[in-house]
Amino acid sequence: MRSARFRRTRRASAVALVSALTLTALAACGTSASNNGSGGSEGGGSSDPAAPLDPKTKVTLTIDCMPPAAKAAELKEWKEDVAEFNKKYPNVRIEGRSTPGQCLEPPRFTAMLKAHSQPDVFYTYFTDLPQVLDNSGAADITAYVNDKTVPLLKDIDPNVLASLKHDGKLYGLPTSNYTMGLLINRKLFQQAGLDPDNPPRTWDEVRAAAKKIAGLGHGIAGYGEYSAANTGGWHFTAQMYSRGGDIVDPTGKKAAFNNDIGRQVLQSLHAMRWEDDSMGKTQLLKWGDLQKQIATDKLGMFLAAPDDIAYMVQQLGAKYENFGMGPIPGEKNTLAGGNNYMIKNGISSDKIKAAIAWLNFKNLTVGKGQFDWARTKADKLPVGVPQPNFWLGESKKTDDASRRTNATMPVENFKTFMDNPVPGKAEPPKAQEIYKVLDNVMSGVLTNKDADIDKLLSTAEAQVDQVLANQ
Amino acid sequence: MSTRTLISPAQLARPRGKALYWTVFAVVVVAFTLVFLGPLYWMASSGVKDAQEVVQTPPTLVPKSFTPGNYSRAWDVMGLSTLLFNTLFYAFGALAFQLVLDVAAAYSLSKLRPVLGKAILGMMLATLMIPATVLVVPQYLTVLDVPIVHRNLLNTPWAIWLPSVTNAFNIFLLKRFFDSVPKELLDAASMDGASPMRILWSIVLPISRPIIGVVSIFAVVGVWKDFLWPMLTLPDPSKQTLNVGIYSLSNGVPVNVLIAALTIASLPTLIVFLVFQRNIMSGLTAGGLKG
Amino acid sequence: MAAPSLTPSTAAHARPSPPRGTAPAPPGGRLAKSLRRNLTAHGFLIGAVVCFAVFSWYPMIREFLLAFQKTEDGRVTWVGLHNLTTVYHDPAFWQAWRNTLLFTVLALLLGFAVPFVTAIVINEFRHGQGYLRLLVYLPVMLPPVASVLLFKYLYDPGYGLLNEVFRVLHLPEQQWLQDPDLSMLSVVIASTWMNMGGAALIYLAALQGIPGELYEAAELDGAGLFRKIWHVTIPQTRLILSLMMLMQIIATMQVFVEPFLLTGGAGPEGSTTTVVYLIYQYAFNFNNYGAAAALGLLLLVVLAGFSAVYVKLSRNDNE
Repeated sequence: MRSARFRRTRRASAVALVSALTLTALAACGTSASNNGSGGSEGGGSSDPAAPLDPKTKVTLTIDCMPPAAKAAELKEWKEDVAEFNKKYPNVRIEGRSTPGQCLEPPRFTAMLKAHSQPDVFYTYFTDLPQVLDNSGAADITAYVNDKTVPLLKDIDPNVLASLKHDGKLYGLPTSNYTMGLLINRKLFQQAGLDPDNPPRTWDEVRAAAKKIAGLGHGIAGYGEYSAANTGGWHFTAQMYSRGGDIVDPTGKKAAFNNDIGRQVLQSLHAMRWEDDSMGKTQLLKWGDLQKQIATDKLGMFLAAPDDIAYMVQQLGAKYENFGMGPIPGEKNTLAGGNNYMIKNGISSDKIKAAIAWLNFKNLTVGKGQFDWARTKADKLPVGVPQPNFWLGESKKTDDASRRTNATMPVENFKTFMDNPVPGKAEPPKAQEIYKVLDNVMSGVLTNKDADIDKLLSTAEAQVDQVLANQ
Repeated sequence: MSTRTLISPAQLARPRGKALYWTVFAVVVVAFTLVFLGPLYWMASSGVKDAQEVVQTPPTLVPKSFTPGNYSRAWDVMGLSTLLFNTLFYAFGALAFQLVLDVAAAYSLSKLRPVLGKAILGMMLATLMIPATVLVVPQYLTVLDVPIVHRNLLNTPWAIWLPSVTNAFNIFLLKRFFDSVPKELLDAASMDGASPMRILWSIVLPISRPIIGVVSIFAVVGVWKDFLWPMLTLPDPSKQTLNVGIYSLSNGVPVNVLIAALTIASLPTLIVFLVFQRNIMSGLTAGGLKG
Repeated sequence: MAAPSLTPSTAAHARPSPPRGTAPAPPGGRLAKSLRRNLTAHGFLIGAVVCFAVFSWYPMIREFLLAFQKTEDGRVTWVGLHNLTTVYHDPAFWQAWRNTLLFTVLALLLGFAVPFVTAIVINEFRHGQGYLRLLVYLPVMLPPVASVLLFKYLYDPGYGLLNEVFRVLHLPEQQWLQDPDLSMLSVVIASTWMNMGGAALIYLAALQGIPGELYEAAELDGAGLFRKIWHVTIPQTRLILSLMMLMQIIATMQVFVEPFLLTGGAGPEGSTTTVVYLIYQYAFNFNNYGAAAALGLLLLVVLAGFSAVYVKLSRNDNE
């Protein structure tokens, strides 16, 4: 009988096979994980943190938010910059990671911090610092950043650097900053008989202009707002600021938007959405959606930072002459924010130096990297947008001059924005959590004709108080 | 196919019955075609519209503009081949793990009946009642630092493969099927000295082909459909699955390019399905589940 | 390579104690045999058991612990019922439960009934069965995120196809996902379209297994169409129906992609915020794992209640 051959040995080996499979599976994981963090320090740089990177140092840096393939021009510039950087530091390997969409999404970012899976150099919003520090995610780079490693340090707007400091220690280097204004579609303004050189300056004027633009028909909306993915709350905050309101009271413990200003914001949105029908039918929009609308001439205005224009030209194929900008309506305060890179806590000091050298070259050198306006122009990206601009003093003069000579955008389109600076106001503490709560307030008035504004505000107030108490 | 169904053949043979049958048939065929192919047509055709037309109110049923460039742009931007390869790699890896470990477990629980087997089965089935999303947080923390071996599985395929083994429903299906394999058959083989492994391999598995087919489809489809877990555990863009990749793309490109990308992303499996539909359908419906 | 010992649980299973007290003083040979049998059996089990232990059972315990803990700066402190009161006082708490209930009811009405009726109808046709089956199953093969985004486009109140169809049919246009009263239904419709294929095929297979004589017998008793369905079709497929019902409930509780992508999760006025989404939001938006776990625990308790009722009912049924 055939089966007589299969005796105990076979049985044992079968058992072994199944269990070995599990064991190997678990053991093999070891080979593919946790091998970062240690590589690279064999290059032998100086042990003094203040000294610049020794060009002989051999390190590999991982970095996120490299421009994705969709941003072809910026990706090309990134590669050129890496090549040029490598002329001076041939032993630093820059390993970029990219995401096609918004490269920082709060939930994914939170998960990444929890997992300590951020790359060596990681992109954050100014508002992320507390969360990063809670997870001890970023290295203190105070000792590494000085006028030798970042020569133009003294010319960087101290307000911008302040948002990257905690208890006097520096945790990041800025890439861009913004203050919000009113972005308009000049073509639709003209069609609606409005003056594109004089964007609305008050919220009442916004409402009137929106109504005219929506009157053009064909599904065109006059004014657009977000109401999802935290961006609704972000813009609610901007509107509160613009009317002189606040989100969190000075103690930082209580919500401060359940008041007349909060009601004005919502009533005006509700009126535009439901009485005037000037905000379009589609709501629950998030960052990226309004840009798509205005780029296809389906939207007249929305609150935006000037750097949105570069995004729209590059990824959405929009024409930059088509856009103009005014200060935020209301003009009491405007939301000021920005983006930056931080360096992962616990990586070697050579890596930190290499990271600072790269960030300095790419983002903090007038005439190089992101401030190489001649190249930006040659690559057909918009030049002449007023922000990002965190320079002061000599650097500002040089940079502004270069922007003007290479301008591809009619600078007068931004004249009202430039001539009427509105004081910037930083985002609230626990910003992303609060924004998430405030999304509901925005979606409430924009999707429900019978929305109960008082109830929306008081519910959000209770939730925000809870978020603030939970720190 | 002359099996008797709900409506009697005699009734259908009558002229009135015939007319009614054909009317209902026509209505159903047209309605189903519209409901199931309509959206797909809409997707493929909207992909060639230009940026203006794709967001035009009212929409156009037949594209007026023709910009096939959307498709090539979508292809460049999306990196479909990487996404597809990743997804298949995870799906078939999970399948392999489930086929080996879950089949072995179901066989043991059904035929070898070890001590505590019932309790173990009970504990496995208990996991069925727990929504995956509830366990996402502790599971995520576990994957970050696997107890005892202290490994971080983030950004590795193990983060998909090993948790996929905890598929109690597949174990349940397999066990139920194995239960129905006649005991005499196995006893006879056992008398002849065949080891449990041998019995599993040459007796149980060959009769269980239908249920293995069903379980395999469930295993692959499970990974194919999953979104939240791979989004959290595979944050590195070069390791993402198709679903997560499309999701990240959705925000960064114009509507028409996005829709072209959706069309492209849908094509590979649609083609596989149309080619192998006979096998897949019969695999899914083969006796296994008649309960 | 492989570490000699892995987890306590696997070690325990690898060396099980022989059953005690089954037979008084069993002869040594039988004991050895039973030991060997158990060893083999556990050997087959061990792989799956380790995976369950690490990725399912351990997280379940951890979920329970997390619900009573708070993690700050990497330090873990016990906070008693603090997390439970936090989630209880969240204004979205009751709304999330109401939405979950609504979603479950809608998903069962549509997700359970539609594929069953579809299967019954298709099964009656003498032509075109293959084509119809193919159609119904087609959406299952699409990447779900692609289907969801396609639906988002279809639902758009301005340029979406659905409102255009309504316009042509002279029906009132709807706001679909944007309308707090309609958003949940819209999500369920999309979800049913995407997922019903599998269930419909399984029902179809079950229907084809019903012996035709039963219908003939029912006709002799003068049963009409609906009585035949009620007295023959449903009882004959009861086992598969109840199994699918269970699967459907489980699937319903897990639904995440559809609302997450269609309405941003929360939806207009929070109308698509489910308990599961609230858990996600606590964990990954508010960085509050304790509250997420506490809410998860509550959901588990409710589900355990449901399944106890289910088991009880199905037992009574069988008697």
